[in-house]
Amino acid sequence: MRAIVNGKICTMAGAVLEKGTILIEAGKIKAVGADLAVPPGAEIIDAQGGYVLPGIIDAHTHIGVYEEGIGFEGADGNEMTNPATPHIRALDAVNPADKAFAGARAGGVTSLAVAPGSANVIGGQVLAMKTWGRVVDDMVIRAPLGLKVAFGENPKRVYSNQKKSPSTRMAVAAILRENLTAARNYLDKLERAKDDPEKAPDRDLKLEILAKVLRKEIPLRAHAHRADDIITAVRIAEEFDVDIVIEHCTEGHLIADFLAEKGVPAIIGPTLGTRPKVELVNATFRTPGILHKAGVKVALTSDHPVFPVQQLPIQAALVHKHGLPEEEALKAITINAAEILGIANRVGSLEPGKDADIVIFSGHPFHWKTRVEKTLIDGEIVYER
Amino acid sequence: MSAKLAIINAEIHTATQKEPVRGALLIVDGKIADFGAIAIPQDADVIDAAGKAVYPGFIDPHTHLGVGEEGLGWEGRDYNEMTDPVTAHLRALDAINPDEDGFREAVEAGITTVMSAPGSANILGGSTVVLKTGGGLLHQRVLRDNAGIKAALGENPKRVYSGQKKMPSTRMASAALLREALVAAQNYLNKIERAGADPDKLPPRDLKLEALVPVLKREIPLRMHAHRADDIATALRIAREFDIDLTLEHASEAHLIADKVAAAGVPAIVGPSLGVPGKVETQNKTLETVRILTEAGVTVALTTDHPVLNVYQLLHAAAAVVRETGMDEYDVLRLITVNAAKILGVGDRVGSIEKGKDADLVIIDGHPFDYLSQVAYTIIDGRVVYPKTIAE
Repeated sequence: MRAIVNGKICTMAGAVLEKGTILIEAGKIKAVGADLAVPPGAEIIDAQGGYVLPGIIDAHTHIGVYEEGIGFEGADGNEMTNPATPHIRALDAVNPADKAFAGARAGGVTSLAVAPGSANVIGGQVLAMKTWGRVVDDMVIRAPLGLKVAFGENPKRVYSNQKKSPSTRMAVAAILRENLTAARNYLDKLERAKDDPEKAPDRDLKLEILAKVLRKEIPLRAHAHRADDIITAVRIAEEFDVDIVIEHCTEGHLIADFLAEKGVPAIIGPTLGTRPKVELVNATFRTPGILHKAGVKVALTSDHPVFPVQQLPIQAALVHKHGLPEEEALKAITINAAEILGIANRVGSLEPGKDADIVIFSGHPFHWKTRVEKTLIDGEIVYER
Repeated sequence: MSAKLAIINAEIHTATQKEPVRGALLIVDGKIADFGAIAIPQDADVIDAAGKAVYPGFIDPHTHLGVGEEGLGWEGRDYNEMTDPVTAHLRALDAINPDEDGFREAVEAGITTVMSAPGSANILGGSTVVLKTGGGLLHQRVLRDNAGIKAALGENPKRVYSGQKKMPSTRMASAALLREALVAAQNYLNKIERAGADPDKLPPRDLKLEALVPVLKREIPLRMHAHRADDIATALRIAREFDIDLTLEHASEAHLIADKVAAAGVPAIVGPSLGVPGKVETQNKTLETVRILTEAGVTVALTTDHPVLNVYQLLHAAAAVVRETGMDEYDVLRLITVNAAKILGVGDRVGSIEKGKDADLVIIDGHPFDYLSQVAYTIIDGRVVYPKTIAE
């Protein structure tokens, strides 16, 4: 057993304990409280008055699939040979030796979503994983947790350069509809065939994963910056009655009421940075605050390697400065991210029964001098200053 | 009548001394007239800075602001003329859109002076310009045109031109092209000097060669993009061979040969240190470079390389250097003020709060490195440029 004592504990489940204790057993949180007795023999981790939070979660990265400090050899994020590749899996390209994982742990980041890039209309399967481990399969929290799709400039730029479809936003939407329709047909055949193998269609890996989307087992994870692209994504999701999460959501603040009415969550970012393309022209730190106020559930993303994942708390600080309440800004990099990823049963808050993924900060996570003192994953110290 | 603006009740961080000066600061005709315990003229406009701090405007000495425009794709990208690896005659000034969004964000963050440069695709990219981020029309904002010739070694030129099946496709050829260009310019200069007053002996005017003459005369430096230690060593070698001045831009591995850089008396503009190392030549980048070079006696500044990082992250980079390396806050403040101005050759005009210097100031409600601090006013040449008044 381990006990973290003498920390200001932000559970992200409602409670802030000015001076609390967390008991950890077998990699899980056993208890969180202000007046917990530490059992004899427990290993004590002294937080020394620092802030204790659940491990930070980035809901949208490309860590491990775009490796740091390498060029072409380490770039495995975009299979730019076919605009519809639902069968490919980020899981198969994640290199746990990517230096980014060590950087993530040093920044208190314990869980990530890792996705294929946005070159393809249908990019492939997204997973959620821990940032500590040698073999990716042992690091997985949930795979697949969604199917990456992309709207706007990226797919049309990539394929118009190859003189292929899509070269317009119309074709982007058409390709997604075609694929979802094919999957609908596949699923109908499977259901009509019931137990008769003679009538069942041949197994098709592409259609199989799209069928999971149609059965609402996983959502579409839709890369969309511009308001019109976000609306197109939601339109198609409604047509096929599938779940959807908007990724980046750069112009979300222009249609906050629309997103709130549709109940669509948003993973916003990277808000740091410049606007190197037209679809980013309206990027602002105010987007998360405006969406939250309208009633949209928001998480933040570094889009690593676009920005280093360990800077996610800086991004949270800056969106807080521009209108997102402090508590909500912390939720956007912990529990909200976990809920949107469908992994909140395991991570995202400090509650009994959850994985002991915990970060101890020297001070408030938004203060510029604050450093990560210790990071724990599954109860083990995976980073220590 | 002269224009006077007084900032009163101020805690003035001059960047020339560690302890702040308390009192007022008087601006007359765009220059810092005086500060401290001074009398305020009756006819001065007044800003009350009670509870706030005043700093010299911050400086990013290596950006591509204006040369690349935000919110645009191809249409706004004018960094790199990737059709010829030697284009010393190009001028960043000719591509700057003074109204693009990046300048607005610089002003909002209290960054008042930047160097804007061509990119690093070419061995010789063209001339750089030092300018204010706001406060007037482009020509009024220029502090120093032709503040150095941008040059580049390492991966970028060889990637761009090997992709076109042209020279350089190796580091050897990159160095060779640089030497050839400098020799051609030296021959040109020799002919001009031999010709004296005889126009018949003068070589025909050549803009490419002419651009390198001030480098050979040590009027301006080569501003050398170099990440890896071996590329930095090549830059130092060629600078020695031609007896020219050099600045190191990026300098990602300069900490590995800090003694050599210090011995050469070459300053280093380090960064962007906060981004993800996206290529092999940046894989060893670390915030420690700044501390190690400073301790070795090198004049160091920080850069965001905007748009690689947004220019406002200059302050985040400074925060990270303090936090991660333990460098003193005042010393880090000097990296983004005094040192940056000195490396750009504009230290007589900007970079600190001193009598007679340009009134480029930031009034801020907290520590400038604190993410949550709010800039209350940015002042350039004595004019409030942020927040903008309705009239503007």
